Amino acid sequence: MSRIVITGLGIISAIGSNVAENRLALIKSTCGVTQLDLFSSRYAGVLPCGEIKFSTSELKERLFANDPGITRTTLLALHAFEEASKDCGLTADQLSADDTALVAASTVGGMCLTDELYQDAHMVSGGSTFLSSYDCGSVALYLRDRFNMRGIINTINTACSSSANAIMYGARLIKNGFANRCIVGGTDSLAKFTLNGFNSMHILSRDLCTPFDLNRNGLNLGEGAAFLVLEKEEDAFDKRLYASLSGYGNANDAFHPSSLSEDGEGPYLAMKAALATARLEPGQVDFINAHGTGTENNDESESKAMLRLFPQPPPFASTKSNVGHTLGAAGAVQAVYSVLNLVQQEVYPSLHYTKPIPSTGLQPVLKYAKMPLQHVMSNSFAFGGNCTSLIFSKA
Amino acid sequence: MFYIHRTSCISAQQTFSAPMLHKLVESIGNKMFVLEPGYEQIPSNVLRRMGKAVRMGVGAAMLLLNDITPDGIIIGTANGGMEDCIKFLNQIINYEEGILTPGNFVQSTPNSIAAQVSMLSSNKGYNITHVHRGLAFENAIIDTGMLVNEFPANQYLLGGVDEISAYNYNIDRLAGWHKKEPMNSSQLFSINSTGCIAGEGAAMFLVNGNPDGALARLKGIKILHTESADNLGDELKKFLMYQLMPGEKIDLFLSGENGDNRYVKYSDACEAILDAAVTVARFKHMTGEFATVSAISLWLCCQVISSQDLPLHMVKQQSATKKYQKVLIYNNYKSLQHSFMLVEGGLLS
Repeated sequence: MSRIVITGLGIISAIGSNVAENRLALIKSTCGVTQLDLFSSRYAGVLPCGEIKFSTSELKERLFANDPGITRTTLLALHAFEEASKDCGLTADQLSADDTALVAASTVGGMCLTDELYQDAHMVSGGSTFLSSYDCGSVALYLRDRFNMRGIINTINTACSSSANAIMYGARLIKNGFANRCIVGGTDSLAKFTLNGFNSMHILSRDLCTPFDLNRNGLNLGEGAAFLVLEKEEDAFDKRLYASLSGYGNANDAFHPSSLSEDGEGPYLAMKAALATARLEPGQVDFINAHGTGTENNDESESKAMLRLFPQPPPFASTKSNVGHTLGAAGAVQAVYSVLNLVQQEVYPSLHYTKPIPSTGLQPVLKYAKMPLQHVMSNSFAFGGNCTSLIFSKA
Repeated sequence: MFYIHRTSCISAQQTFSAPMLHKLVESIGNKMFVLEPGYEQIPSNVLRRMGKAVRMGVGAAMLLLNDITPDGIIIGTANGGMEDCIKFLNQIINYEEGILTPGNFVQSTPNSIAAQVSMLSSNKGYNITHVHRGLAFENAIIDTGMLVNEFPANQYLLGGVDEISAYNYNIDRLAGWHKKEPMNSSQLFSINSTGCIAGEGAAMFLVNGNPDGALARLKGIKILHTESADNLGDELKKFLMYQLMPGEKIDLFLSGENGDNRYVKYSDACEAILDAAVTVARFKHMTGEFATVSAISLWLCCQVISSQDLPLHMVKQQSATKKYQKVLIYNNYKSLQHSFMLVEGGLLS
């Protein structure tokens, strides 16, 4: 079986609306986490978020997407999807071919429309235009319709590891002969549902998040979308190969509905399984895009898992300090950054870190640097113990 | 793809322990709620905090896991804990984003069914939740088929779960998916009107690549998105051509026809392609309509295959042979999403 290669990239986040802008912002250590300007919430001015500074109507105009039931979550997905498919040079015929699959991930779906959902769920009016838009499946179903896609279409929701699982699933669809190319990724927009949900659990920081820092006090929510085009290497001979997806591992922490075990069993097993599929030894991983949300629980658990698996943990950093935690999009956002690491042979620093966690003593990368990189790991962990780790390798 | 070894089902019919399918449990009104068991396998302090979708899913799953730790848990659910989700939304609106209790939020994430099963059974293997609306369970099947292909010695827990919440009922009602007139579920196929009755349920399957002692084999699956009955018929022809040997025939067509007069065209298009004498059976008068009802249809299929007994109330058309070894299951959800599954019994014969 030939390698699964990445031939197209697309991303929109709080630090840029395409791949090039995101890279530039990462090099400059740009923090896209700010007070809320567009999203209406009582926490505007209180809880900083990685907000994309395009209004929903601006996104509709940019994308010529004025369909009545379209949501912000879907618009962000469309933005990144179009960039990725154009970047790969996929034709309309290829998009609608039987052997082109789409695997999207989201945790919020159309629930960003809090007031409309409330009204429809309580039958306050005769029904809004969003009756078919609230579920997570609505995102992929919109993309399917817009691009007349006829291959396998799927939506995955494993909370904060959703799009890492979408990427893994897409690679497996190709390996198992269910598709020859697969567009994979995830999307989530800011929503009162998640903002209030995480806030009620006291894991949102009122400051900028400080992944892996001794004094970290929670995560910043973000919004974004990222998609990647996966193909078999033998089918992509005339294309630019960004990187290969060489490994993936999925495991469950089986510990607690909303926190990770102290020794990071789930993260450890997911990383170990990713190494096994990539047929790599721990020492061959050159860099890790950590899940690193900035919560007390995650960063310590993830650090302990790294210390268990790696005799000497490789350089690592968390881009959550740039873009916030984009939930269902996070795994795909990090996947794009991991591919950039490999293509550009460079690493982007973690922001706002000052002191190590005493029990682990680990320090993330703090300065932008050029670095020879062969294999980059990307971690995504979630509520429900859903842990997934991916490994990207130099093309 | 894989062999089915154990099954469990919580539905609006007597399906959980000692299934009794001949006696149709009817429902009045437009909601078919499940008959919930006592959930002895779930610790009572944990059970108390579970929403219905999680409870049904975990209850059906744990029944199969007494003596077995599967290598992965693969769940399809369109909405997961929808009731908890809207309860949390109500808090947001009613308390104007004030001090909220997180319980409903944590329960509402669709992955909490698979997560709770893994926690209660200490299962650290592959764990995933597919949520692609009316094809959530079918995508879970494809995932499981790939896993069995990748790891032939492993076994997996596969399931489909969705609940009726007051809220998704309202949203679907506004969108015209439910019958407007109150009716008895047994009349589903005799009333000529739009919409169906709302349903819910959970079905779980323990599957692997080993034919020895299996109840049935899921041989193939096809999922598609289309609103054209002609296109659907063409795809079914292709599916059967690929799945069946020349001369091989389907014994039973288990149809997801749902009493919505706008969409009879789809099941008609399928029936037109099959042998005129094939037995045709329907099930949505037993389950109501919901996104992962195909999980219940697969359970029913396994039941009919292993008992060789097809309840009369399911029969639309009866062939002379009354043999049910090769079953084609067809499902349609909300017009756009369709699936075909080919299931075979009689493995040891």
